[in-house]
Amino acid sequence: MGAVTDDEVIRKRLLIDGDGAGDDRRINVLLKSFTKWCNSTGSPEEGFTQYQRMLGTLAQCEFSMGKTLLVYDMNLREMENYEKIYTDIEQNITSAHDKISECKKEIQRAKRIRKNRQEYDALAKVIQQHPDRHETLKQLEALDKELQQLSHIKENVEDKLELRKKQFHVLLSTIQELQQTLESKPDSPLNS
Amino acid sequence: MGPVEVTHLHMSVFSQSFSPCGRFLAAGNNYGEIAVFSLSSALSPDATDLSQTPILTFTAHEGPVFSLFSTDSHLLSAGNGEISAWSWAELIKRNTKAAWTRRPNYKSSLEIPEINAMTVNPTENSLVIGGGDNNIHIMDLESGIFKSVLQGHTDYIHCLSVREREGEILSGGEDGAVRIWDHRTGQSVHCIEVYKYEECARPQYGKWISCLTTESDWMLCGGGPSLSLWHLRSMSPTSIFPLSGCQRQANFYQDMILSVGEGQCVSHCLLGGEVKAQIPCTPHSLNTLALNLNSTDNRVLTVGGSSHQIDVFTNLSYRTFSLSF
Repeated sequence: MGAVTDDEVIRKRLLIDGDGAGDDRRINVLLKSFTKWCNSTGSPEEGFTQYQRMLGTLAQCEFSMGKTLLVYDMNLREMENYEKIYTDIEQNITSAHDKISECKKEIQRAKRIRKNRQEYDALAKVIQQHPDRHETLKQLEALDKELQQLSHIKENVEDKLELRKKQFHVLLSTIQELQQTLESKPDSPLNS
Repeated sequence: MGPVEVTHLHMSVFSQSFSPCGRFLAAGNNYGEIAVFSLSSALSPDATDLSQTPILTFTAHEGPVFSLFSTDSHLLSAGNGEISAWSWAELIKRNTKAAWTRRPNYKSSLEIPEINAMTVNPTENSLVIGGGDNNIHIMDLESGIFKSVLQGHTDYIHCLSVREREGEILSGGEDGAVRIWDHRTGQSVHCIEVYKYEECARPQYGKWISCLTTESDWMLCGGGPSLSLWHLRSMSPTSIFPLSGCQRQANFYQDMILSVGEGQCVSHCLLGGEVKAQIPCTPHSLNTLALNLNSTDNRVLTVGGSSHQIDVFTNLSYRTFSLSF
């Protein structure tokens, strides 16, 4: 385990662009030159130039440190950005799933509606073949009226028939009575 | 050509049934054999050729297995005039011992009439059987006693259907009549002679009715006469489907009608009478169509006919693959 992490560390340090090793070396060189400059016995101009050189390397180190800090900030912000996009996409996926199941339900409903419509159409076709109800009702009414009229007429005719029968009966019975009275009185004034 | 290929050439699949869990399909052929296929392995992403062959094949009857029906726990098969029940749990474990075998009381003991159709009446928990002796036998599933016999057809019965809500049994037969029976009284309530209606009749094919299915107030029937949709309340044909060939099985599915018969295709029709699509399949003439509505994962349509292959449709528009007996 220890060997792996050491390898990883070494690999990482080598991969993170050579500037890391450069920076380390620069700081060490700075320290060495600082100690040399403090203990230097040379001329003041040389000391001054060395001092300037040291300031220069210090500035370089500060610059590279600033750069890496900015890069670190940038990485953090990128990470946040990616996290946001990730959650957005997840939400989109779940909403798409929901929409799909909604649409499936819609399809089932639409199929049922279509089926009901087709059944209705099929029945309507059959019904159309039969004649209109109003017309048949009208025909029925007309026939009813005719029937009533005809039965009326029949009643009248029957009444008349009855009346004539009775009248004939009366006539015939009076004739018979007259005949009987004539036959029962043979020597009446008519025979002389 | 080895012996297996020769038998395969002459094989016809007559009946199919899905298991109650929806993961297995049982198919019966003209040799009296029943094959059980595992649908879940055939439909899984890593299916091989082997998963399209049966997990179990056994000889169930001496004669062809014309009808298969699944209850909640058993597979009922009809062949050679008798009915055998096989427990699905046992079949999945490859145990081919029948739970029971019963035979309706046939009047003549000389000839054994075949059983063409079987269906279950769920309200009474009874099995309705129609076959070659022109009668419908009703057997109570719990006790196994044959309760009653419905007589009225003058020729053998091809197909049966049950209307649970109204408590009616419908039967179609070779005599061209669709009879509607009340299951309590055992009397024939109506008799529709389809071939007498001009718009349905096809005298060149005959008057026999080979397919019958009902859904609420509607009935589909066909065979010799064209496949037609009937409204049962008014007893009138509402749509005639212009399908050539005699239809052997039809089903209502969502807003469509699926029908198979003579002709190498599955016909999709709309209730109005138009044929929406005809999907080609392998067998030249189809005998049976089954929809797996028991399971949500394996919702497939399977058709079988005069071939040893059973076509499986995962999407109704095209044939996905074929199971081979």
